[in-house]
Amino acid sequence: MDWFFDYVSVGTFWTILLLGHALLSVALLGAITHQAAAVLVGGRPKPEEEGFVRRFSAVRGSAYPTVVCVLWIVTFVVGGWIYTKYRIYVRVPIEEAGYWKTLGTFDLKEHLTAIGLALLPIYWSLWQESQTALPTSIENARKGVTLCLAGFCWYAFLVGHILNNTRGFGV
Amino acid sequence: MSGLRPNDGLQPSSFRSFATAFAIVAPVFYTVCEMRNWPLFTFVPATDAVYFGLYAPAPDQGPPMYWYGWVATSFLGSAAIRLAVLLLPGSALKRIPLALIWITPLAMLPILIYALRFFWRW
Repeated sequence: MDWFFDYVSVGTFWTILLLGHALLSVALLGAITHQAAAVLVGGRPKPEEEGFVRRFSAVRGSAYPTVVCVLWIVTFVVGGWIYTKYRIYVRVPIEEAGYWKTLGTFDLKEHLTAIGLALLPIYWSLWQESQTALPTSIENARKGVTLCLAGFCWYAFLVGHILNNTRGFGV
Repeated sequence: MSGLRPNDGLQPSSFRSFATAFAIVAPVFYTVCEMRNWPLFTFVPATDAVYFGLYAPAPDQGPPMYWYGWVATSFLGSAAIRLAVLLLPGSALKRIPLALIWITPLAMLPILIYALRFFWRW
């Protein structure tokens, strides 16, 4: 890896990684939000139905699970890598500044992303059902786990954004 | 109510069965690992050192990181519990509601928030 740092400074490397993490999370957020909207609103819009919400949710939910799983895992791994630097260069100064609630909300983000990771196998499996008329229990479980992941993802995204604002970029 | 092996016309695979049990057990196990502080290993980022189990570094070593260890403990533990669940009779498995896959993580939320009470200073 030493050859790499002949061309890119250490600071630039971590900045690239952080931005990559941010872009991955945006992609994940978009995918899971579309899917969550689809399971909430349900179905494709009829020709006479207009409006942003109907059109936003007019996606085939079954097209998303593999992408969501891959994005969740890759974002998790990259985030976990950045987390090593966060512990020293971000968390310590924020502790010294006394922003305890900010740190608490970030720790909760860690918990939710880890629990979300554990939900991915069943989430993926439930979305592999190709039947059009699923049993209610499967349908509800699929809806529940999708909305759960979407909620976790939104929380993680917003908290990551807040924390970045708290510490300041490139400080 | 459909369970780990739902009898509803669908043919659940062994993967589905594993994933269902894992989704129910892992959030609980993770919460326990966090509250009891049971990391499988401890990472000390300042020195890039990894120690098995719970390790309290010396002050000059910098802060420890337990989160990776909690994730590892809870995921390995949940997989092991899933194997233990295989020993249960099929009728017992059928009685476990599938809705628990999303109710359990949500139920763990207030407990995890409580576990972080150190940070909620007003």
